[in-house]
This record gives sequence, C-alpha cells and structure tokens, in this order.
Amino acid sequence: MQTLRCGISQEVITLSNSLITKSVEELAPLLETRVISSVELTKAVLDHAETKNKEINAYISFSRKEAVEAAEKADKEIRIGHYRGMYHGIPMAIKDNLYIKNDVTTIGSKIHQNFVPDYDATVVKKLREAGAVLTGKLNMHEYAWGATTNNPHFGPTRNPRNLQHIPGGSSGGSGAAVAADMSAASLGTDTAGSIRIPSSACGIVGLKPTYGLVSKYGCFPLSWSLDHIGPMTKTVKDAAGLLEVIAGFDKNDSTVLNVPVENYTKQLTGNVKDLVIGVNEEYFFHQVDAEIEALVRKNIQRLVDQGAKVVEIKIPTLQYSEWAEMITALTEASTVHHRNLIERPDDFGDDVRLLFELGEIPSAVDYLQAQQVRRQLKQDFQKAFEKVDVLIFPTLPMLPPKIGEDDAEINGRRVDLMDNIVRFTGPGNLTGLPALSVPCGYKSELPVGLQIMGPAFKEGLVLNVGYALEQG
Amino acid sequence: MDNEKKELNGLGLSIEQILTSKGIQIGEGHVNVLESRWQALEELKGNLENAKIDDADIAVRNIPGGDHVE
Repeated sequence: MQTLRCGISQEVITLSNSLITKSVEELAPLLETRVISSVELTKAVLDHAETKNKEINAYISFSRKEAVEAAEKADKEIRIGHYRGMYHGIPMAIKDNLYIKNDVTTIGSKIHQNFVPDYDATVVKKLREAGAVLTGKLNMHEYAWGATTNNPHFGPTRNPRNLQHIPGGSSGGSGAAVAADMSAASLGTDTAGSIRIPSSACGIVGLKPTYGLVSKYGCFPLSWSLDHIGPMTKTVKDAAGLLEVIAGFDKNDSTVLNVPVENYTKQLTGNVKDLVIGVNEEYFFHQVDAEIEALVRKNIQRLVDQGAKVVEIKIPTLQYSEWAEMITALTEASTVHHRNLIERPDDFGDDVRLLFELGEIPSAVDYLQAQQVRRQLKQDFQKAFEKVDVLIFPTLPMLPPKIGEDDAEINGRRVDLMDNIVRFTGPGNLTGLPALSVPCGYKSELPVGLQIMGPAFKEGLVLNVGYALEQG
Repeated sequence: MDNEKKELNGLGLSIEQILTSKGIQIGEGHVNVLESRWQALEELKGNLENAKIDDADIAVRNIPGGDHVE
C-alpha cells in the first residue's frame, strides 16, 4: 500500500492494474510528486508483461534486474529533487534493432541472435539521460523488412485487440506492447510505415518524425535513406514528450540536421480553428475499405466542426511513389545484407530472403530514377503545403489480416498484403515529411488509424491536429 | 512469350541468371515468385519513362568536407 503524499484518491494509486493502463502523461505527475515510485511501477509493468507475453509475444527479452536498478536510481533522484521530466522513471521497452550497450540486439534475426553492441544507440543514450527505465527488447519483423511481425526465429507477435490477427510491423512488438500495457511507451523504426502500420493495427499513437530530426546512430539499418526512429505511445501528448527526449543533432549520424528541438507538448492546444486540411482523393482515398474511409471522413468532419476547412489537392507524382519506395527500399536493404545473402542464405526467414533476392534485380538506373521521382514528389508536396496546413488520409487501406495470410481484403476483394499495407505510409518515408497515425475508430473490433502529414519539421502542428481529434 | 517476360534490363538475362551471376543461391520455389513480383514492380512503374521527371534534377547529393555543414 502506498503512502499518500498529495491529495490524489487512494483507489487510483493503489492498484497496480490501474497503474499499468495509464498513459505517461498520467504517470509522470504521480512519479514527480512521489505518489507512486518508479520501482513499484516498473515491477507492475514487468509482472504484467512477463505474464501477458505468453500470449502476445511482444518481448524478445526482458531486463528486470537492470530495470529495477534504473528505477531505484530514478526514485532516488526524484526524492532529492532532481526530477528530469516526463519520462523520468517511466518503464518502457524498445524495438530490438536499437543498440543497448552490452545487451543482445537480435534485430529479429538468427544471424544477429548473439550480437552484443559495445555502445548505446543515441536514442537509448537520450532515454537514459531523461531517466527512462528500459525493461527489455521488443519483437519485430526480421531485419524490419516486412509488416506482419510473423517472425520465424522468435515467433509471431499477436495483435492484443484480436490474437488471431497480425499487429502490423515491422515494429509489431512495440505496437502490441504499448496496446497491451506491457510497456508505458515505446520506440519503433519506420522505413515504409513500420511505426504507423502497427500503431494503426493496435490502436495506439505512432509518429514518424521528419527525416533528420532524430539520430539513427546505433540503429541497425534497413534502408538508410528511408529509415526513421519515432515514438509509439498511448496518447498524443506521450508522443510529443518522447519526441522532445529523442530529437536533436548528433555528429555521429550524417543524416541528422542541425535544427532546434521544439517544445512539442506546449504546442498541444487542441485549437484547429482556421486549419486548412488537404484531401487528395486520387491516391489517398483510392481503393480503401469503405468503412475505414467513412471513419476517416467522419473524423475530418469533426475537425471541420471545430473550425477547420477542407481543400482538395492534387499530387501528381504520387502515381509513381509506390514504385520509387519499393525500388529504394529493396536495393538499399539488399546492399546491407548482400554478403550474408551470398554466404548464409538459409539463415534468413523465407519471406525476407525473397525480398533480399528481389532487391538484387533492379539496375542502378532504376535506383536513380526512383531518386528522381522522390525529388519530384518532394516538390509536389511542398507545393501542396503552400495551399494546406496538413494532409489527412487513412493509415491503412484495410484491416490487418490474420496471422499467416499473405493477402488482405478491401471491399470484398482479396489484395496482396505487402503491396497494399505500405501504400499510404510510403510517401512519408520517400519525402521524409512528418506523419502521425492516431486511432479514429473500430471496424469488426479492430482499430482503424488516421494519418496526419505535415510540412518538414512541423511536428508540433501535426501532433496538435492529432491532439484535437484525441480530445474530441 | 515466356522468354520475353523473363528477360530483364534489355540484356536478355533472366532473373535466375542475374542472381546466380552475383553468387546468390536462389531460395527454393522463389524463381517464379520473383518473376511475378518483378512484373508487378514494372507495372507500378507505369509510364515513368515518358513522364516529365526533370533530368537536370540533382537527386543524389555529394557534400564535401565531411558529413555535416555546420
């Protein structure tokens, strides 16, 4: 039983079950005022996660001893008045392609199953500096090259909303862990949608920040010109706070830009009066499940009811974006794994091996044409953002399918899963623009996500639109 | 017709030849899947060859003096 130190009701703080379901924005003031301790919270989350993992399989490994030690340290610092901020004392697990010094980082693979990095990823270093408590490493699609998290080496992660379905991927462990209260928040990586897809599938918030805002040093690459690291959280404010922790210049990553890290949480006013929402019908509302489309349009209308207006916009180069995304991701990923594809092909899962083989086929001209498309696409989006503040569209055109299925259903028609699952997320990676997925309803008891995309480095704007929807 | 479909890059090489020439042992049953996936990619490319993608655009940059301009 906790000793009460401020006027918060006892019922709220004594049940560990009620603690683990809370968002970081709810937990942070309880930790800061010492109504709860980080040790108590961390143990509650780990107890729950270790039990729940038997059915969800979101964790690859747990770090109980290190986590409890870090929580004790956090409690001590808070006790002597050195509160570091929103994530101080918060227990969270991260995707297993982010390096933790002296801790196995498998990247969801057999080949790297015993890989032990000798340094922390920059984002891990920043989490430690913020006082976060790392509870373990989360399952993922092998080498992040796929969107199902049906991992042949560590087993499939299951969607907590319906265990028969995939949680999306590649950050499926992160999506499932946050949705199932096995981690208060998490980090994912996103090359073609791998933060936003599982966020949509599991009903949580996922932000792919602007390319260059968050360092990727110490993140095993999939496709270096498309890779991003970002928050996966229970609420928009949690995502804003986590972005403040992980963003910033890093001389160790050549792709990071020296731009100021803003106070994103302060920008969450929920005010969308005079916001101009761009809607692109030809690409982002083409071949979408009718119920998902209706949910997204209903939520756009909710913003209109709050004072926003809608403008239809054209983005012609989107017609080539899927091709450019696939050629870029395929060839860059196959370059990373070229040697192992020759020397250890049987050690890859079959689906990932096939993609690495496919990535060996395009010519240099294909790759460079894809980069030309990409530049044109960026220019198209830039023009669009001269007319509108944000674009809104579905995160996924369909629901996440059952585990093991290679296709999905859109309006009664079976469609290829891989071709469709990244259709609306890929443009965010090609352009590098910030894109946020927020829950916007349910279909057949599975969550549906809505995507908000904005101009470069306008995370505060994008998050605020998500916040307005969340606050309802 | 089958042979035409299997030729790539205007070199008359099949997918199998391209991969094996790089020392890659193709997974069991993958050749047909690779052919259909490549075909699907070509369809996604659409009429790009005739599109107005500005040839003068500098899509890949070369930054001298280190990784960052600071």
